[in-house]
Amino acid sequence: MAKTYDAGVKEYRETYWMPDYTPKDTDILACFKVTPQDGVPREEVAAAVAAESSTGTWTTVWTDLLTDLDYYKGRAYAIEDVPGDDTCFYAFIAYPIDLFEEGSIVNVMTSLVGNVFGFKALRALRLEDVRFPIAYVMTCNGPPQGIQLERDILNKYGRPLLGCTIKPKLGLSAKNYGRACYEGLRGGLDFTKDDENVNSQPFMRWRARFDFVMEAILKAEAETGERKGHYLNVTAATSDEMMKRAEYAKEIGAPIIMHDYITGGWSANTQLAQWCQDNGMLLHIHRAMHAVLDRNPHHGIHFRVLTKLLRLSGGDHLHSGTVVGKLEGDREATLGWIDIMRDSYVKEDRSRGIFFDQDWGAMPGVLPVASGGIHVWHMPALVNIFGDDSVLQFGGGTLGHPWGNAAGAAANRVAVEACVEARNMGRELEKEGKDILTAAAKNSPELAAAMETWKEIKFEFDTVDKLDVSHK
Amino acid sequence: MSKPDRYVGIDNDINGGMTSIGKIIRDAWVFGLVPETETCEGWNLAGIDALLQKVNGEWDKYGCMVSQLPEPLAIRHREIYAQAVRKAKAAGWSGEHETGDEEA
Repeated sequence: MAKTYDAGVKEYRETYWMPDYTPKDTDILACFKVTPQDGVPREEVAAAVAAESSTGTWTTVWTDLLTDLDYYKGRAYAIEDVPGDDTCFYAFIAYPIDLFEEGSIVNVMTSLVGNVFGFKALRALRLEDVRFPIAYVMTCNGPPQGIQLERDILNKYGRPLLGCTIKPKLGLSAKNYGRACYEGLRGGLDFTKDDENVNSQPFMRWRARFDFVMEAILKAEAETGERKGHYLNVTAATSDEMMKRAEYAKEIGAPIIMHDYITGGWSANTQLAQWCQDNGMLLHIHRAMHAVLDRNPHHGIHFRVLTKLLRLSGGDHLHSGTVVGKLEGDREATLGWIDIMRDSYVKEDRSRGIFFDQDWGAMPGVLPVASGGIHVWHMPALVNIFGDDSVLQFGGGTLGHPWGNAAGAAANRVAVEACVEARNMGRELEKEGKDILTAAAKNSPELAAAMETWKEIKFEFDTVDKLDVSHK
Repeated sequence: MSKPDRYVGIDNDINGGMTSIGKIIRDAWVFGLVPETETCEGWNLAGIDALLQKVNGEWDKYGCMVSQLPEPLAIRHREIYAQAVRKAKAAGWSGEHETGDEEA
């Protein structure tokens, strides 16, 4: 017979399972989806998760008396079934705020998900949601500028912002790359963007890219009379190098830079966000590697948690998924983390996968960035779903326009303005989208050509990570 | 097998010529920089890049916008690109190719 799980000298639930505990307003609360090994009682494994994500390992080193275990320990205070899935359950755990260093996402992550995911009593574990008390939120720096200040800096109001990722197809030289940016910005985009894996490779070193892109921004601004930007990717091998690139971006007058917060790391991200705040720079955040953590419904960290952590660590934009388009995500779940990015108070709402009330106080919001597999035909739905405080990022939907980059940008700009105007006049965008775009295309040959290019595309892949409630 | 260092020509390009280089050549036709019989077959990268710079110079006169082209050029653009899109679609190209490898 295989060896079964054994807690050791003392069962965890004797110390860490506290069903009568009422969480304090200052506690950090976590909801884990727990898939236990066969034969391990739910209360025991929930208590083990609470222990191993708080003081569990400390008690083997020091005595309970020295560390005041009763004050610092995590408490498993509730267990719930997962709708439609008997293999796992939700465990709710409360952690005292003093267990964590102020303003340190690094410390929060090291504690909450540091060792516990490899614990033997578990087959799988997923961190579904975290409630950060306002007392902890206020120790974090948060987004460098926030949504309102970004609009003021850019002098752009009342519509979603438009962006486009420049793909280094055919090994674009820095000069030709800058030209592609100029065409996109000149055509009507607000931003262009470095691809996430464009850092400083031999084919295009960062300084040359920054210089040519800045020239493109200035030219587009001069010709359009609008403020423009390009997400200059400063993600680098070391935080010193990252800061060097950020400083240079500021020196040449760039309004916004970019960081990959998961591959770059929490420490680097928080450092960069604080620097951006001190220096009046906007910070675009890409989420490369997120699916490694958030795609498996039973193991990892849900994106709504990664969203909360980013808002605390700092960023003005964050890629959110699109809801529509090729990379479609679960609509309700996506709306849930969009609320988490932007709102000042988010109520518990299981229909959107939100397990806790979350009070952000006065911390500014983050603009969600819808990016990937979208084009002009998606515009009515995108405007309806994301509203004005968002960035709609059309990559192939801009650069793939048969007439070129500027035409693709113009098509998207005309489409978004037509949709916003129609919405403001009380029309139903998703129902009347075709009529709205067709009418706008009469005055925009660029939009007409875009609608002809993309009209037959349908994306019908199923979502891998559905909300648990949808399994009912 | 080594990579060819010469362009195959817009008539032999992938996606029925709906490529970055294909767009450069068609724009060059629109602006009369090369005759419409010129497919650029056998051109090297420097030749294509030099053509791109000339095309960019022409577009700069009109703010890169098709809708700002004077009527004769707008008609020429419309005709050349309508034919190109038809040809590309017949060769299997669609907008889906352009959004096929994007990030989330």
